[in-house]
Amino acid sequence: MLTEEENEALCRVGPGTPMGKVLRRYWTPAFQLGDLPEPDCPPIRVTVLGENFVAFRDTQGRLGFLDELCCHRGASLALGRVEDCGIRCLYHGWKYAVDGTIMETPNLGPATFRERVKHGAYPVREAGGLGWVYLGPPGTEPPFPNFAWASAAADEVVVSEIIMDCNWMQAQEGSIDSSHVGILHLDTLATMGSGPRSVGSFDFAGEPWDLDMQVPGGGRREPGQPPRPAVWPSADNAPRIELENTPFGFHYAAIRDATEPGKKFVRVTAFVMPYTALIGGANGAVIVVPRDDYSCSTIGVFRLPPGTDTATAARRGIDKAVWGPEPENRKLRLPKQDREAMAAGLSFAGFRGGNRVQDGAVQMSSGPMYDRAKEHLVPADLAIIRLRRLFADSIRLLEAGHDPVGRGEGCDFTQVTAASQLIDVGQDWRDLVPGHLGSKEPAN
Amino acid sequence: MLWMSVVVDNACTQILAALDGGAKPTSLRVSPVVYDAVAAVRPKEVARHYPLMLLGLPLVADHDVPTYDPVVA
Repeated sequence: MLTEEENEALCRVGPGTPMGKVLRRYWTPAFQLGDLPEPDCPPIRVTVLGENFVAFRDTQGRLGFLDELCCHRGASLALGRVEDCGIRCLYHGWKYAVDGTIMETPNLGPATFRERVKHGAYPVREAGGLGWVYLGPPGTEPPFPNFAWASAAADEVVVSEIIMDCNWMQAQEGSIDSSHVGILHLDTLATMGSGPRSVGSFDFAGEPWDLDMQVPGGGRREPGQPPRPAVWPSADNAPRIELENTPFGFHYAAIRDATEPGKKFVRVTAFVMPYTALIGGANGAVIVVPRDDYSCSTIGVFRLPPGTDTATAARRGIDKAVWGPEPENRKLRLPKQDREAMAAGLSFAGFRGGNRVQDGAVQMSSGPMYDRAKEHLVPADLAIIRLRRLFADSIRLLEAGHDPVGRGEGCDFTQVTAASQLIDVGQDWRDLVPGHLGSKEPAN
Repeated sequence: MLWMSVVVDNACTQILAALDGGAKPTSLRVSPVVYDAVAAVRPKEVARHYPLMLLGLPLVADHDVPTYDPVVA
């Protein structure tokens, strides 16, 4: 639980807010590179951390990330023309370079103004199919998080961004919440081939109800076909959680009893402050970025084998009426819950489309900004508890004139990974992630 | 400003350590400041005479417990 005052502090992200100041001290993935595919292509409007920006790629292929409104009379530069190494406002023709230099002011002859003033412009980097920006004070940038998957060629990375109408903390907490996986996502587990499951008194038949859902390894399970080999080798829904702080944030292991004697099933999740969870393996991440106080983007980034059709992969079995990878179709529109399938034992959650639709359903169901004073956390929620703690510590540190925690100084981000593996009962899960430099001590 | 997230994190760490050590915690002793803060945000539970609970354990107010360091009992 949190006090109302603390909940507000952690949830609100606009300029000048405690969390807004903290988040502006990290590199922020703000847009998809696929939305700016070539030089002088149309610009895009970007809403992130409660502010509006324009992103564009100039004639030389350089990215610009500028305050959205023209500094003359406030027209949106997202309507502008991208031409001759700059973006030109439609209203009176003022033109800006990627670094905010005011190149032309047609209705102001003398150069004095444009020589002394620059438009708001922010550092931007390209990695992992995303445009990353730094919105903090100049000169305070942390090391760039060069994740292993971020260096892949553009045609090997699939980015799928789902925009949800809820505060970002609801999605972020869900991304690191291990104990819901074996319950909310029972349909996924059945499709993957784990066979009949049960939660409490509810016996779930494990039929391949959600036939559109893709599963690890690609393809789908078809009616009448045998289940795939089980990739969820445990029936334990109450994992033991072990957590350590790291230079990048924290990592934790959800440790479950395995069905195979002498083994335990370990899922190691790494959380990289302040947006990124590496879950299940090394080839991707789930990134949650606030657009404003009441909406967020959950971005899945996955590295695929060369030659994979990334456009198809991005959709991952979600119906076009619910969501799609196209820019105008990224907001999640929940499908009708299938109560008949639930009653018939064909589906646990009743939401077709896989984990992300099911996650979106429960996370948005808490309302636009959940009041955490009402909740009853349990010890299994330790990862969520630590996430809030690190943010609270960061707010206090920044207010005291220090850097927030987990900015990754001294960290080799290429070594940050996740794991999902059966290991011997006596083996230490830290062996699976030796590059994390974990410490049981608090971050500060 | 009381940072409840720090209180909860410290309490959770202690509870897990106790469980790992084979103990069976029965209550959580907290500073009266923390007890009052929990009571303030849960008026319905107070009105129904439910015990105030945190992390699955009933809270006990104790003046000897530091604000940010609850004690598992």
